[in-house]
Amino acid sequence: MLHLLLLKNLRDLRASLAQTIALIIIVALGVASYVALIGAYRDLATSYNHTYEQLAFADVTFALDSAPSDVVNQIAKIPGVAAVTGRLIVDTGLDLPPELGGVKNAQIRARLIGIPEDAHPRVNDVLVESGRYFQPRDGKVALLETHFASIYNLAPGATVTPIINGRKQPLQVIGTIASPEYLVVSASRQDVIPSARSFAVIFVPEAELDRLMGGNAGINNIAVRFASDANPDNVIQQIDRELNAYEINSTTLQADQASNAALHLDLEGYREIGFMMPALILFVAAVSLYVMLGRLIRAQQAQIGLMKALGYADRAIVVHYLGLALLIGIVGTLLGVALGIPLGSEITTEYATELGIPLVATQVYPDLMVEGAILSIVLALLGGLVPALQASRLPPVVAMRPSPQMFVKGGRTWIERVVRLPLWLRVALRNVLRVRSRSLSTGLGILFAFVLVLGAWSFMDSMQFMLQDTFQNVERWDVMAVYSTPHSWSTLHRIESMDGVKRVEPILLLPATIKGGGASEDIAVTAIDPAQTLHRLELENGITPAQALGDNKIVLTAALANKYHLRVGDPVTMVTQAKPGSHEKITRTLTLGGIADEMMSAVGYISLDEGSKWANITGFAMNGAYVQVNTSQASAIRSALYDDTKASSVQLKSAVQADWVSLMGLFYAFIGMLVVFALAMTFALLFNTMTVNVLEQQRELATMRAIGTNRRKILLMMMGESVIVWLLALIPGLVLGTLAARELGGAFQTDLFALNIVIAPTSYVVAALGILLTMLLAALPAIRRVNKLNLAEATKTLT
Amino acid sequence: MWKIPSETNFIVFDQERIRQSFIMSENSLIRLEQVTKEYALGETMVHALRGLDLRLDAGEFVVLLGPSGCGKTTTLNLIGGLDQPTRGHVIVGGEDIAQYKADQLTDYRRRKIGFVFQFFNLIPTLSAAENVEFALALNDDARDLRQRAFALLERVGLRERANHFPAQLSGGEQQRVAIARALANDPAVLLCDEPTGNLDADTGHHVLRVMRELNRAQGTTVILVTHNAAIAPMADRVVRLHDGMIQNIETNRAPQAVEQLVW
Repeated sequence: MLHLLLLKNLRDLRASLAQTIALIIIVALGVASYVALIGAYRDLATSYNHTYEQLAFADVTFALDSAPSDVVNQIAKIPGVAAVTGRLIVDTGLDLPPELGGVKNAQIRARLIGIPEDAHPRVNDVLVESGRYFQPRDGKVALLETHFASIYNLAPGATVTPIINGRKQPLQVIGTIASPEYLVVSASRQDVIPSARSFAVIFVPEAELDRLMGGNAGINNIAVRFASDANPDNVIQQIDRELNAYEINSTTLQADQASNAALHLDLEGYREIGFMMPALILFVAAVSLYVMLGRLIRAQQAQIGLMKALGYADRAIVVHYLGLALLIGIVGTLLGVALGIPLGSEITTEYATELGIPLVATQVYPDLMVEGAILSIVLALLGGLVPALQASRLPPVVAMRPSPQMFVKGGRTWIERVVRLPLWLRVALRNVLRVRSRSLSTGLGILFAFVLVLGAWSFMDSMQFMLQDTFQNVERWDVMAVYSTPHSWSTLHRIESMDGVKRVEPILLLPATIKGGGASEDIAVTAIDPAQTLHRLELENGITPAQALGDNKIVLTAALANKYHLRVGDPVTMVTQAKPGSHEKITRTLTLGGIADEMMSAVGYISLDEGSKWANITGFAMNGAYVQVNTSQASAIRSALYDDTKASSVQLKSAVQADWVSLMGLFYAFIGMLVVFALAMTFALLFNTMTVNVLEQQRELATMRAIGTNRRKILLMMMGESVIVWLLALIPGLVLGTLAARELGGAFQTDLFALNIVIAPTSYVVAALGILLTMLLAALPAIRRVNKLNLAEATKTLT
Repeated sequence: MWKIPSETNFIVFDQERIRQSFIMSENSLIRLEQVTKEYALGETMVHALRGLDLRLDAGEFVVLLGPSGCGKTTTLNLIGGLDQPTRGHVIVGGEDIAQYKADQLTDYRRRKIGFVFQFFNLIPTLSAAENVEFALALNDDARDLRQRAFALLERVGLRERANHFPAQLSGGEQQRVAIARALANDPAVLLCDEPTGNLDADTGHHVLRVMRELNRAQGTTVILVTHNAAIAPMADRVVRLHDGMIQNIETNRAPQAVEQLVW
């Protein structure tokens, strides 16, 4: 008996092949996305961890002024310390010759890191990707961090020229390496975007670097790995005590390390989407199964009656129809797994390549396959359960009645009592209400499509809005020069007198730490003239920069103000250097003068006068300048800034913007994939619903055509049904989509980066029309079916 | 109980006379010339009609009679433009509709044909009046649809049930709504496929009476397909089909009143 029922199941599925395939594809998409996305998330996390383990990424890093290298030996003895490395790190400039895209005398920021030449570092090791590692007596050689090397196409044999101790020192490149500290190349946590184009990380033999720095430079960076059983807090306290004699500038835990924090931020955002998408797709699969099985059972009502008359038990009938769902679930799962494994591997590889993760570990996760299979099969069974139970409960005499269509209840809708609708629209409207559960499930599918499309789309809008606002409204300079030491008016005048310069505004960049409520974090404070125009301060509550940047006042970003629960007028505690370059710290209490809504969270603004106080300079001081120029002369001015004013770094806004756009490429591709998935899902769901609608109304539609209704009118009625469901789902879909976008956006708010979720009005329109268009396209096969109906046969068919 | 009607009122034609009468009647409303219809049923080729020749005049009440599979419904479908012949001509009002394209057929059905189906084929979500309106709205004249629908329902005796939905109507009432719908655009030909097949005898009589009245009062040509020989005596002519060919055509000089039919 079971064999025959299974055979019947298979033939039933074959009889509705297109719908079966659509259902299998939906289930397969759900399982594939589950296996691929969560698998890729795990692979990426594993790849990071694998890289970190293999390259002994530091658990904690101490930045010092300077300490003798033998302090490392004392730290190594502390219980709980598994390994320690002391390094000399020098932040400086690097000549960027014209052949590498630079201009005359152009420089970018460079970080020189001294590592042993006779052995790999015990902590924060490097992975040689090309060339070789150092050998004793290598002399003036360098290993380049791979992102930088790749951007400028630098290979072993090339020469780089960093400024060391005030002098240009050509170093021969002997290899390129990957470093666990620079998987995302950020000079600090304040650098939100990877900056390998303007920031070079160069590893140099430690003895050579010490020599070039004049000898006896000691070390200024200590990286520590904990033993597996160590209590990190205790170990850090003991190391603090050991380093008490030296000035500790910062203690950075692995979680706060710039590259690692950026990777985690990225990974968390990915995880949110990785879980949401398969859940939605599998839900739609269940809804589709419910719709299709419901239809099949209605069509097989007479057969059910016959089975009952022959003596099949209710349970056998339930099992039989659940078997259909199960078959679809199983085939979909197998296909999904087969698709998901290579897809996951591909996503991991693409992502890892994009980010430059050196040691990629992809693997097959049997637990994910089992979970995916269970999820999809359970959802498939749930989708099939209600129709199967309904089938089993049909009394044989009812089941064998000739035309279930005769028992369709008609009725007027309340809208018709208010408005007199044309007949075709009345037909469409009443058809929507005819099988309410189906319309409801279709509506829900559309609702979820809105959630997915708007949720995904809002990220693009938000990013674009943010970038546009930042680079067009807020940052109005074209070139920004930064100096390693404070400069006077004369530099400002020199810049003003350059050909092509329209306007110059001085700035003073000052590192500081904000404290409050037990928390603290490093922020970048920029002192500006309250009357300046090249960096627009958009302050809340109509406060003007002149009011906000008064004596002893500071402006913070909305993200910082929220985090430290600060309102305008509240005191703000800041720890600053006693003067530039000094290690002596001063705690200042300022008043929050205003709150600015800016993309970068960890920044603050004070007046130039206040800045001079902080820098302990009497009179005017600047260590940077915003410059507005004739765009065509930007490169020449950049060159002049390096050449004539000895700027340590000169940024073109266009280059910064281009970096952002290139960073967004992968992000947009991912969002695009989400939108395509959402629309594919909507298409599959609607395709099934519309096909079922046509099958159930086949005789009516054939009759309409038989009595002379033209195709256009039938098209209008069928499209009308889709449009009505769309209209019903529209408002809740837009509302839910907006809420989902906000919820998802929250996952991307960080200490450094404030993403205000914005959905452009056009996006609502595009999402709504995109979904409508998908629905209408999904109806086309059904409409084609109506046009091809054999009228003679269909007018007699009992559906 | 089925009762074979008395044959006394019929003139029986043989095949050659049928052919002759067809050739001679060039002015008939409907002419089928050497119509063949073949279609595949799975792997089997079915010869539904084998070179059928037939002519039907305007205002006639014709019954196509025969057992299942004899080709009577196929003939009706070809006349109604629901199907097209494999070979041959279907000339209605002087035009060969076998040459029509799909849109022309749609237009033809809308303007010239009214259908009555065995299972009524009403749109279940529309009320009786709305079902009729649906057909009325196909016409270019879209004025007073509701009043005209009520008037048509009045003619089939269902004015008071106009706002009921199909599920609230009996089988006979549904079939009368279907007739009202079929008459909506004042068709030249009313095609009825087993109109009483799904009705009890009393209701069947009622429906046939409506058809007869329409035929007599309006001059509407009625072609009724049935396998119920008891209906034949009410027809002006009875065309018996067998295996895709005309077996004989009987002209009834004094058609019986519907009330006299017994089954």
